[in-house]
Order: sequence, then C-alpha cells, then structure tokens
Amino acid sequence: MRLGKQIRSTHSGISLRASLTLLLGLLFFAYAVVSFVTPVQAAPVYQENKPANDFCLACHQEDGLDFKLGKDMIPATINPTQFGNSVHSDEGIMCVDCHTDINDYPHPKVKSKNARAFSFTLFVVCKQCHEDQFLKVQDSVHQRAIDGGNTNAAICTDCHNPHTQGRLTGKTSGELTPAARVHIPLTCSKCHSVIYDAYKTSVHGNALTQEKNTDVPTCIDCHGVHNIQKPTTVSFRNSTPFLCAKCHTDPAIMDKYGITTNVLNSYVADFHGTTVKLFEEEFPGQPTNKPVCTDCHGVHNISKVDNPKTGIALRENLLVKCQRCHPDATIDFPSAWMSHYEPSPEHYPIVYAVNLFYKFFIPAVLGGMIFFVLTDIFRRIVNSIKGVKHV
Amino acid sequence: MSKKIETQTYERFPVWRRIEHIIMVLSFSTLGLTGIPQKYPSSTAGAAILQALGGIENLRFVHHTAAIIMMFGTAWHILVMGYSVFVMRDKMSMLPSLQDAKDGIQALFYNIGFVKEYPKMGRYTFEEKLEYWAFVWGAAVMGATGFLMWNPITSTRYLPGEFVPAAKAAHGGEAVLAVLAIIIWHIYGVHIKRFNKAMFTGLQTEAEMLHEHPLELDEIKAGSANRRPDRATIRKRQMIYFPIAAFLTLGMLAGIIGFINVEETALTTIEPLTEPQIYVPQTPVP
Repeated sequence: MRLGKQIRSTHSGISLRASLTLLLGLLFFAYAVVSFVTPVQAAPVYQENKPANDFCLACHQEDGLDFKLGKDMIPATINPTQFGNSVHSDEGIMCVDCHTDINDYPHPKVKSKNARAFSFTLFVVCKQCHEDQFLKVQDSVHQRAIDGGNTNAAICTDCHNPHTQGRLTGKTSGELTPAARVHIPLTCSKCHSVIYDAYKTSVHGNALTQEKNTDVPTCIDCHGVHNIQKPTTVSFRNSTPFLCAKCHTDPAIMDKYGITTNVLNSYVADFHGTTVKLFEEEFPGQPTNKPVCTDCHGVHNISKVDNPKTGIALRENLLVKCQRCHPDATIDFPSAWMSHYEPSPEHYPIVYAVNLFYKFFIPAVLGGMIFFVLTDIFRRIVNSIKGVKHV
Repeated sequence: MSKKIETQTYERFPVWRRIEHIIMVLSFSTLGLTGIPQKYPSSTAGAAILQALGGIENLRFVHHTAAIIMMFGTAWHILVMGYSVFVMRDKMSMLPSLQDAKDGIQALFYNIGFVKEYPKMGRYTFEEKLEYWAFVWGAAVMGATGFLMWNPITSTRYLPGEFVPAAKAAHGGEAVLAVLAIIIWHIYGVHIKRFNKAMFTGLQTEAEMLHEHPLELDEIKAGSANRRPDRATIRKRQMIYFPIAAFLTLGMLAGIIGFINVEETALTTIEPLTEPQIYVPQTPVP
C-alpha cells in the first residue's frame, strides 16, 4: 500500500533517481580510478552521497543565474570548459567539497549582506585542503589588514579563483611553472595596479611581461607568497641587500646577462654597505639612514643603470639619489661611491694605486722591523751563551 | 761605583711629556680598536668590539672622539715643541740625521756579528727617531684621509670624488701598518727587550743612560747638554713666542672645529621613499 502509493505518486521520479544513482556510482568509480593513478595533494572531507559536479553544472552552466546580494550581483554561472581546465576539476574536487552547505536544490538562502561578505564566508573552506598556505596567510600583511577592518585585503579566492585556477606547480616537480610565474604580477595587479604599472616598465617587469623571461623576479620573489610581510618596515629595508643578492650573486642567473655577481661584496666593502651590514646584524629592527639597494636603484621601477634617461650610471642621475640624504652634495660627490667597481687601473685607478702601495709598503716596513728585531733577539741569545755583557 | 750608577737618575721626560704620551696611548688604542670593525666588518673580533660598544653609530662616535683627542694632543705637541725650540733653544735632538742611518746599520751589523761595537747614541736613538717620525707620518696620513671621509661633501667640492674611497683605502692600510708597527717595534723595543719605565716615571738611571744614551750622558757630564737660558732671555723670547703661540692655537683650534663641523654630511632621518598608492584595484573593463 505504502509502496504502491509511492510508486504512483512519484512515477516519473523513480527513473530519475535510478539514473542519478547510476551516474553517481559511475562517477565515483571514475574518481576512484583517477585518484588511484594521480597523486592527491589534498584530502578533502567528503560529504556523504554528494551530488556530482555534472549534477550542479546541469543548472550552473546556464546563463542568467546571477543573483543579487545587497547591491552586488553574484555570478553563479560556471563555464564548464573553464572549470574543466582548472586544477580543482583535474584533481576531482567536487563543487560541494567547497560549497559545503549545499547538497540539494533548492539551495539554502545566502545570508551574507554583500558579495564581499559572501566571499568571506566561503574562503575558509580552502583550509580543508590547503592548510599550509592558509595558515601562512594568517601571518600576512593581508590578514593583518583584514583584522584591522579592511575587507579589501586579499583572501585566497581573490588571487585564486577556485573555478578557474589552473595548476601553478609542476605535477611532479612541485616547482612553480614558467607560465604561472609570468602570470603572478597580473594576479597582484588586480589590487596593486599602480605598482604593477611601475613594475611593468622596470628592467625586471619588462623582461617578464614582454619576453616571458622567468629569470627576473616577480612579485613573490621579493614579497613572498601567502605570508607576505609589510615591505615598509625597517627590518625589511635593512635586509634588502641580502634579498637582492639572492639573485644578483648567483652566477647561474647573472652570467647570462653579463652582470657582475660582486654587487653585494662591493656594496658591503663601501661606507654605506659596511654600516648596513653591521646594522642588520646588530639591530635588524633599528632604522639607519644609510642607503640600501632600493634607495639608488628604485623599488618597482628599477631601470638599467645605463638607461639614458633614468640610469644611475650617469652622475647627474645618481647625484639626485645622493642628495636625498646629502642635500649639499655637488657633481663630483657621486664618484666618491665606487659604483660597485673593484678598483682597477681602468676604474678608480687612484684607489687601486693606494691599495697597491700599501700592499708593498706594509710588508716592506714590517718585514724590515721584524728582521731587525729578530737579529736583536739572536744577538742577545748569542751574547748570553757566550757570557758577553750585552750593551 | 756600580752602586752609584744604579741609583743616580737623570730626568728623561718631564711630566707634560708623560701626559702627552698617555693621551696618545689612549687615543691611539681606541682608534685602533674601534677601527677593526670598520676595516673588517665580517671578523669575529670586529663583531665583538661592535657588540661591546652597542653598534656602529656608537662605535663611529667613539672613533671620532678619540680622533679629536689625538688632534688636540698633536696641537699641544706642536705648541710645546715650539716653546722648547724657540724659547728654551733646546737642541732639536729628534731631527733625523745621516748618523742615525749609520747607527742603524752598525746596530744591525753588530746583531748579526759583523762588527764588535754597538753604536753609541745620544738623547734619541735611531729606533726612537724612526718611531717618532713614523708616528708623525701616520698622524698626517690618518688626519688628511680622515678629513676626506669625515667631510666628503666639502672634499668633493675641491677634489675629485675618487679621493674619498682612496682616502678610505689609505686610512685602512695606514692603520694596519701603524698598529702592527707599534706591536712589533714599540712593544719589542721598550717592553720586551727591556721594560723601559722612563715614559712613566720620567727617570732613567745612569746605568741605563750608559747603555742606551751614552753620548747624551757625556754631554750632561760635560755640561754641554741643553743649558737653560737666563731668566731675562726667556722672558724676552716668551714675549715673542706667546703671541705666535696664541695665533697658532687659534688657528689649530679653528682647524679642529672645522674638521668636526665643516659640513653636515648626511641627514640623520630620511623621509621614506613615497610608494605609489598601495591599493588601486583595476577598474573592470566595461
């Protein structure tokens, strides 16, 4: 009776439920096979009897699903091709793994007041699979801004659109792919567009954006990723020379471009560098008025030193940098800094000559002194053996 | 007789000389020690000294202070030497001569056994003169190169910029030479060979005089050593020297103050580079 009633009342529902179960089973089987052969990077907590992505996409690939939340429109249409190309799809992550509150239709009502608030309720699920990265973000300047009430600061999904994010690291190498490196500045530019505009014209940014050269630093090479720190702190400034030196003392990168790897040594050997190095060791958090790399070379807008307009190989251009701290400096002042050159007969010959002079003068004088002292000791020993009174 | 020469003493250094020496010992040692972290920033010794003084800025302050003290010491030395030479008409016994070269060669030959006699020397032996003039040379080099580094803006108004790093190179090289020369020559000569206390007590016994300065002893005994001029002569010369000394003093004082204050090399607090606005979201393409 009960059965008969059910059959009668949901006659068309039976075939749907049966086919759904079959589909689910097949998908689960397919997932099991796929997950067996591909390394799983993260293990999400699965819902029981969760609906398949196709089930969701059946509706969500339709246009016109966008809904209003406060003043904002929330896009709810998912492009199946784009999603299919995403790393999440590739890894067999299911819609409901992230949209944990949904497993049927109609969906529960979204309670958030606007789009941003909605994102804030959703992004926390990233932690399920990406705990490392998620925890690093907790230490970041972005999180600090959020904690301070600035909801514009980036959360996971601002940089990684979960529906379209492609694979960033090599499947086996785990290294960032060249394509991902090239894309990084574009990601950051979404919020930091003025900085991006400066970067893109710099020697680094130009090589990356125009030539797809991945030897140059992208944003994350200096700022880090996920646990990005405030770059305007004293400690960050004091450690700048060592940051730049990571690449600029590496012959594997520099030799290709004929750039010297002696930049850190020559900097540390000079007045400013010696001070900064000693400062960095003793008081990494204390401000110093001595310049670091960025004070002369710029930050995001670093240009080639021989750039005829902005290059600091030109004394006039360098003088402007000098005058920031040495307001009374005149045109001969910049050459008091040896511009990272080792003194040689071609570059800084006077310094070279002075060094050469002392290289011979010191051993000559001290050698003569030592020789005389030794003969004196010798004579005293001989005299005492012979019993002769020494003068 | 032998007892007498052990007890009979002669004044070698009056008290102002001894004070001068102590000032130089203290300032020289301070300069040398605080120079180590600046010449060898990566050395352990340098790091330890830096730590002890509480950082590079303090260390530079101490280095500069010691330099100022040494400058005053030098100015004082010039003034009293002027008095000694002009008013007292003391013999300029520190001036080097050909005899010093001969004495040095003879001493060396004696040491290696070529000659039987050690040279007989006067008030200052060739070893002492060598050290004195080395100090004069060192002070001149360190003072000049120190000025270039202390006042790079003023210096580069009149000299090529390259002189500043050249000064730094010379300052460091000369420092190494000076410190090691003191360790080898001075420490051996007056502390190890024989602990010569004359610079602290001011006195030397006749026996020591016989050993080290026999010609001076002869002069003293013969009465031909520095003879004190009579009061009237001293007075007369003082009347001439004191105005000159006053002028000199003012000049040197101005020099030292200029050395310290001629320029404000760098601003101590620098406005941070103005970074463009941090958060500028891209406007969506319409």
